[in-house]
Amino acid sequence: MVIPLISLILLCPLAAFAIFGLLGLAKRSFPRQDYLSTAAMLIALGCSLLLLQEVVPDPEPHTLKWLSLGSVTFSMGFYLDSVTAIMLIVVTLVSSLVHIFSMGYMHGDPRYPRFFAFLSLFSFSMLFLVVSDNLLGIYIGWELVGLCSYLLIGFWFEKDSAANACKKAFLTTRVGDVGMFIGMMMLFTKFDTLSLYGEGGIFAQAASQLNTGDMVWLSVAGVLIFCGAVGKSAQVPLHTWLPDAMEGPTPVSALIHAATMVAAGVYLTARMFPILTETSSLVIAYVGGITAIVAATIAIVRFDIKRVLAYSTVSQLGYMMLGIGAGSYVAGLFHLTTHAFFKALLFLGSGSVIHAFHAMHAHAHDDEHGHGDDDAHAHEHDGNHASEHVIGSEIPPDQDMRNMGGLRHKMPITFLTMLIATLSISGVPFIFSGFWSKDAILGGVLGRAMEWNSVHHYLLFGIALFAAGITAFYMFRLIFMTFFGEPRNQEMHDMAHESPKTMTVPLIVLAVLSFPVVNTLWFNADYVTPPEQAHLHAPEHAYVSPDSKVGEAGLPFSLFGISEAVAAEEAGHDTHGAHADDAHHGHHGPAHTIAMVLSIIVAGLGILLSWLFYHKRSLSAASVATTFRPIYNVLWHKYYFDEFYDGVLVALTVWKSRLFAQFDGTIVDGIVNGVGKVTRDFLAVFVGVFDNRIVDGLVNQVAQVTWSIGGRVRRIQTGAIQTYLFVVLAGIVLLILIFRAL
Amino acid sequence: MLLSLMIFIPLLGMITVLLLPRESEELVKRVALLFTLIPLALAVALFVSYDRSIAGTQYVVNVPWIEAFNIQYHIGIDGLSVTLLLLTALLGPICVIASWRNIEKGIKAYMALFLLLETGMLGFFAALDLFLFYVFFELTLLPMYFLIGVWGGPRREYAAIKFFLYTLFGSVLMLVAMIAVYLNSGASGARTFDIPTLITLAATEGHALNDLNFQIWVFLGFFIGFAVKVPIFPFHTWLPDAHVEAPTAISVILAGILLKMGTYGLVRVNMAMFPQGMDFFCNGTGTWGNSLAILGFINIVYGSFCALAQTDFKKLVAYSSIGHMGFVILGLAARNTEGVTGALLQMFNHGVISGMLFLLVGVLYDRAHHREINGFGGLGAKMPIYTGITTLAFMASLGLPGLSGFVGEALSLLGAYDKFKMLTILSTIGIVVGAAYFLWTLQRVFLGTLNPKYEALPEINGREILTLAPLGILTIVLGIWPNFAIDMFRESVTNLISVLEAI
Repeated sequence: MVIPLISLILLCPLAAFAIFGLLGLAKRSFPRQDYLSTAAMLIALGCSLLLLQEVVPDPEPHTLKWLSLGSVTFSMGFYLDSVTAIMLIVVTLVSSLVHIFSMGYMHGDPRYPRFFAFLSLFSFSMLFLVVSDNLLGIYIGWELVGLCSYLLIGFWFEKDSAANACKKAFLTTRVGDVGMFIGMMMLFTKFDTLSLYGEGGIFAQAASQLNTGDMVWLSVAGVLIFCGAVGKSAQVPLHTWLPDAMEGPTPVSALIHAATMVAAGVYLTARMFPILTETSSLVIAYVGGITAIVAATIAIVRFDIKRVLAYSTVSQLGYMMLGIGAGSYVAGLFHLTTHAFFKALLFLGSGSVIHAFHAMHAHAHDDEHGHGDDDAHAHEHDGNHASEHVIGSEIPPDQDMRNMGGLRHKMPITFLTMLIATLSISGVPFIFSGFWSKDAILGGVLGRAMEWNSVHHYLLFGIALFAAGITAFYMFRLIFMTFFGEPRNQEMHDMAHESPKTMTVPLIVLAVLSFPVVNTLWFNADYVTPPEQAHLHAPEHAYVSPDSKVGEAGLPFSLFGISEAVAAEEAGHDTHGAHADDAHHGHHGPAHTIAMVLSIIVAGLGILLSWLFYHKRSLSAASVATTFRPIYNVLWHKYYFDEFYDGVLVALTVWKSRLFAQFDGTIVDGIVNGVGKVTRDFLAVFVGVFDNRIVDGLVNQVAQVTWSIGGRVRRIQTGAIQTYLFVVLAGIVLLILIFRAL
Repeated sequence: MLLSLMIFIPLLGMITVLLLPRESEELVKRVALLFTLIPLALAVALFVSYDRSIAGTQYVVNVPWIEAFNIQYHIGIDGLSVTLLLLTALLGPICVIASWRNIEKGIKAYMALFLLLETGMLGFFAALDLFLFYVFFELTLLPMYFLIGVWGGPRREYAAIKFFLYTLFGSVLMLVAMIAVYLNSGASGARTFDIPTLITLAATEGHALNDLNFQIWVFLGFFIGFAVKVPIFPFHTWLPDAHVEAPTAISVILAGILLKMGTYGLVRVNMAMFPQGMDFFCNGTGTWGNSLAILGFINIVYGSFCALAQTDFKKLVAYSSIGHMGFVILGLAARNTEGVTGALLQMFNHGVISGMLFLLVGVLYDRAHHREINGFGGLGAKMPIYTGITTLAFMASLGLPGLSGFVGEALSLLGAYDKFKMLTILSTIGIVVGAAYFLWTLQRVFLGTLNPKYEALPEINGREILTLAPLGILTIVLGIWPNFAIDMFRESVTNLISVLEAI
């Protein structure tokens, strides 16, 4: 049943898109593309649920020869383990809900059918990525989701900001993808395959063939593959595209830029877990940790509701990376799942708020339309409103939290559901899923720190803990500014209303999913087990003397000061690593208890501060900002990443391209023209003698050249060509006849 | 017989067209279309009946032609040539249709020349005798010269002469090398131009053709001849000019087929006939051991950066071709299964994709009468279908997986990485820059607010869709299932690799 089900999951959304594309070529469209796409997604969801029963431990991939070139074969195939099964459900579920939400949110958009077709294409690509058993398939899905992201960020391409944002997203992620591709080339050159699983797969070969001398190589390959994830999951330093991607319609932000595509990087990193080494893991952990803190701090000072959520997403993705990098495989994926639900909910909730304000625009500016919903969204891509309300700000007024406030009475469902998601992401203890998944990561990092006595992991734990506090702070800031207090813009407030059912029902469903009850699969320790890492099996290289520690054979180990751990491994005790991270069955219960207590404290502190600043207003954000002006400036300018990229990297590239083009036009072509001129002047003396005598068909061309060189053919006439053609023809016939006779 | 028919039916078409009265333009076009459709039909038959399980040549015709010099009319196809032959047959009718409305003068001469050009191209890919090969090679040159020089843009004569002289410069060296090969192929009377025989001789220990020094020099002679066609830096500057001035359909042929004649020549002659010479330039050791790979790398990076700086739509596509042909060179330099397969695939795919790109530029040019990228803006709202097809072509060209461009590019790189690690890694810069110039163009032409000048721009019409659809479908199909192409040359590539490894 596995193959038919997976095929159905993939084909349904693909068919929904194909129908749109084919009809589009004939300048037609399916009357209800929205129903078509949504139905396709619901079928896929059903199949994904059915697939849960098909999961077996240590599955074999189902493969098919895709390319066979003499000595090498590339396979394509599906791999269904528990992680795949859970990811399939997450993707199809969130996607289905976003489809339904979009029916309300995108209603009235002139390109409404196209939107759903793109959603279908995206869902197909994402699902393909998830089920692929090999790096090539993952890479294909990977780039296709990138394409869909591009198309959907630029869905309202009339806006220059959207046109810029989609280009930026594509190019930034492509930089990471090139790294990933180089990593793939390394692996392919070593193992002659890109399949991950099965007997001849990369993982099996890595476990059996590599020795400790290969660990540096394997670390490099791992980090390069991870580069792809850095781009796709918006990790520092390639994170800048994700906040800009908020130019896309909000359902897109929820589906692609919060729940699924950006999490694909985490998924990839988790898939690569077996070939991660100590060194590459540490790199991943650091990138994740730095991302978590950098993005969280930027989020504090943003006023655009969607940008706050975008930075929050970046930060949370950093958390997941940190988890996987610290060896907490299950925790990282667990957080991916919980985050997918609560962050999708937050985005859809913000969409609901934006939608409420849109309706206002429709009423205020376009009275002749009876019901605001009808063409509300035609206005969303009409960026003109920005300057009317917040002078000097690029934030659209309907996304600016400074225009909001007091909305909880107007939009009770949106408010309550968003509050649940906020409690979940902030790590409010015990009843919310986010608490458990975040704690699993924090506990995992602390556990590793205690076990290896590693400064790095203590530091990372500190960073993560701090980021957790900030997360609680900025999320409650969002809630307070949006839903509490007095309305800041009375006109907008008066028009706001609760969204229609198509939009609120997905919110409610996602709110239910933000409680741990539905995430039990991750709590079942036997359901998902982390794969073993190849470097743990690496035998010593022949020329390393038996006394020397393994850690010294691969220099980076000792460089990072964790050689004790490797030495312990050498003794053959599974004291850490593969199974140690599990949230409930781990070897370091104390670490989890400590992490839990600390995380509750910082979350509480964050919420408390937020309450003091933004609700009770006994502390003033403005005065703090003034006091710490330099810090505030750095945060406001997002650590100047964009300034650096635009001002230095992009400018340099464009400058270089102009230089090349100028070199081409003046130097290379100049030499060519110079040679041509010299030759012409030189030859002109000689050719005059020859030109009229050369009529032979065989050397006809030479004559043409000399003619042109001598400047005799001033104007090529079409009449002359026909004569010429007959001459050529006659020449060919003559040649054949004459030479046959010889 | 099938093959000979395919080659000479366009020539027959040329004669027919020339005999038609000048005034009946519609008739001329229809006849021309008919005489390009027949080779296409034959190509379909050939595609069906082609035996994919053998490495050697098929549909062979071998009759003496110029017996005094032991020259034969020897034609046949194998995996190295078959895809390009099919591509030529496919692009023929597409180009005739693309020329239906926008050739304003002398349609009769235009079509006649075009048909002659097609014969030259088809013959070139089928020729198995070096002399015949050279004759067909030159036979493409003259029609091209006139097609650019008469029907081109404002600087057409400069572009045509530049194209002509450049190619001639290369082919003179090629001619010299060819004669050297001929003279060294045996004692007087036993000399030959026959390619399969020459390959055997060159592999025979102790034969004059087997000598490393000899191989290096003739390799260079042929190489420069083909390098001009590919074009390989620094012999490339004719290409942007020729493309910019040539009419749409001719640009399609130029990029789709003529450039492939260069890379095909490299495979057919330089690699297969002079494996030692090839080895000298790409074994990765010594002063010259990296030279071919370096040229590939330069093409990729240099071409991509130059493309990024262009503001003329057509020139941008022209420079992108230079970059993409770099992947072919890199793949060939790798001399392994992945690399050569990738190169052959890339040759075919680039023909399809660049054909699409030039057709698309033509569609826009026919409407707006300029090609200045910055002069458009927001067309996406006005021409959604055109925008969709352009996006497809751009994505295919920038190597998006799932579309055909990716497979060739990726295999070339995979193969090359095995031999030239650093150069391959550096070449991946081209992947990012490639995405940059296409996306930037997409933004400047199609995104943003609609330029009010183009409020009334009509959407792409049925005839234009007809020219693009087959290529678009091929792009998607070969992206998903590249085996349709690879099956045809798998055995030949294996065979070629074994020849290369035997030295």
